[in-house]
Amino acid sequence: MSTSTEVADDSGIRVDTDVVRGIEEPVPIKRRKSWKRPLRRFSALIGIIVIWWLASLFMSPQTLPGPFLVFSTMLDNLTEGDTYYQLAVTMGRVLGGMTIAMIMGLVIGLIMGLSAWGEDLLINVVLVGFSIPAVVFGILFILWFGLNDTAAILAVGVAATPAIAINIWQGTKAIDRDLMHMGKAFRFSQRSMLTKVVIPQLVPFVLAALRTALAISWKIVTVVELIGLSSGVGYMLHWWFGNFNMTQVLAWTLLFTITLLLIENLILKPIEKRLTRWRPHAAALEGAA
Amino acid sequence: MAYLEIDNLRKEFRRPGQAPLKVIDGLNVSVEEGALLSILGPSGCGKSTMLNIINGLDDATSGRIVLNGKEVSTKARSDVKVSVVFQQPRLLNWRTVSDNVLVPLLERGVGKREAKERVEKYLDLVGLGEFGGYYPLQLSGGMQQRVSLARGLAIEPDLLLADEPFSALDEITARKLRQEFVRVWATTGRTILFVTHNIREAVFLSSRMLVITARPSTTFLDMEIDVPQPRKPEDDALFELEKSITADFMRMEDESEMKRRLQEAVA
Repeated sequence: MSTSTEVADDSGIRVDTDVVRGIEEPVPIKRRKSWKRPLRRFSALIGIIVIWWLASLFMSPQTLPGPFLVFSTMLDNLTEGDTYYQLAVTMGRVLGGMTIAMIMGLVIGLIMGLSAWGEDLLINVVLVGFSIPAVVFGILFILWFGLNDTAAILAVGVAATPAIAINIWQGTKAIDRDLMHMGKAFRFSQRSMLTKVVIPQLVPFVLAALRTALAISWKIVTVVELIGLSSGVGYMLHWWFGNFNMTQVLAWTLLFTITLLLIENLILKPIEKRLTRWRPHAAALEGAA
Repeated sequence: MAYLEIDNLRKEFRRPGQAPLKVIDGLNVSVEEGALLSILGPSGCGKSTMLNIINGLDDATSGRIVLNGKEVSTKARSDVKVSVVFQQPRLLNWRTVSDNVLVPLLERGVGKREAKERVEKYLDLVGLGEFGGYYPLQLSGGMQQRVSLARGLAIEPDLLLADEPFSALDEITARKLRQEFVRVWATTGRTILFVTHNIREAVFLSSRMLVITARPSTTFLDMEIDVPQPRKPEDDALFELEKSITADFMRMEDESEMKRRLQEAVA
């Protein structure tokens, strides 16, 4: 987006991004809620569902069941306790793996970002790790640790680490040196330098990393469950696939997707909003993105 | 010995594969306590570097800086309360306006209650009393710079280092703030080093003025400005001073240009 374009968001407030810094009146941060944007966001999804439905009319339910059938199957599944169990098992593995990935990614990313030495040492390791298919980690960890949760969690943790490290590394590159200079000039303690100057600048990158970690972890965990475990969503997919039950395969995929969307909208989005509320133009930029 | 003594200060920056860049070349200044010394010089003449060295953020290549009887370096920063106003606001955008003024005070060990009173006082002084709860990015550039000024003043420093603090403001705001600035200086009697490249501003504000040459910097002119405060921006005496200093400044630029050409011709 060019900085001089005028951005009109749905609330009808026009924001000239060039003028934002120049005018004497403070820019309002709160914006009125509008129903138009969510509608726009979901219209594409609805489009896909419509195409799916149209396609299903021409195929047998064994090949491509329609959205209504899949949706009702999913709802049926939700009346069974086992569904929640399988979902929770997968969720636990995802969280475990994500935690490992976030910790290792943060450490590696910070080392790479803060020392040239660390960058030289680790860059190739991270890039190689990034390019290895997740399924390879799955196979390796199952061979080493057996068919259990440890293998799944470690595989997820290790496979998702490089992506997090890269995000954090980029974040450290974006730290504003002038602000560090300001902190030193005003004699900020080392601790305050870190907590009040450096970390707040890393927050958007950590959030981005968290998102990436979540997305990657889900994908890896299902693959690992599919190739070697006897519980979890990946296992259920495998099982129904073995029974050639396309409807159930899609029902589980749908359940999975909905869970992801809920996590994004009920947990990540509110956290992000809260942590970046100091950015008045975030809404305008988001609208343009 | 004067309050601040800059003694044969030299600063070079090492450059890979090239001769080091000489920024300051034997600068001598002594500043008496309570002075408002303007330092005027062409851009890139090492003024900011000098302020950094005084504040103990950078080390001199040779020479020394003695502040209140103690030599200053990055290892031994002065006990004198030093504060800074930068050319850009340099605010913590994720903190409110109040917090931006408050945090440096707390870092300095000012008590919470006292610190809060000062935040209010200095935000009022720069005309932002009502904006304490806003975030910097909600304010215009000029308002942000005023927050930065409040932050610098709230420290109530013994030595204030101001690096072109008004150069990014519109003239009306700058004029108002200069007047406030002089008033604060006159009532507190603290020492201020004020870097600028605005001759009129320097003449209006300072009790003494230093003109330094282009890189590597040496003193070109050192003069007292004994027009009594408070001054009026339209004062004829100030205007005459401005004219003569501008003429000197132009002469200096010409001389350094000649010198540069001469050196090129020799080489």
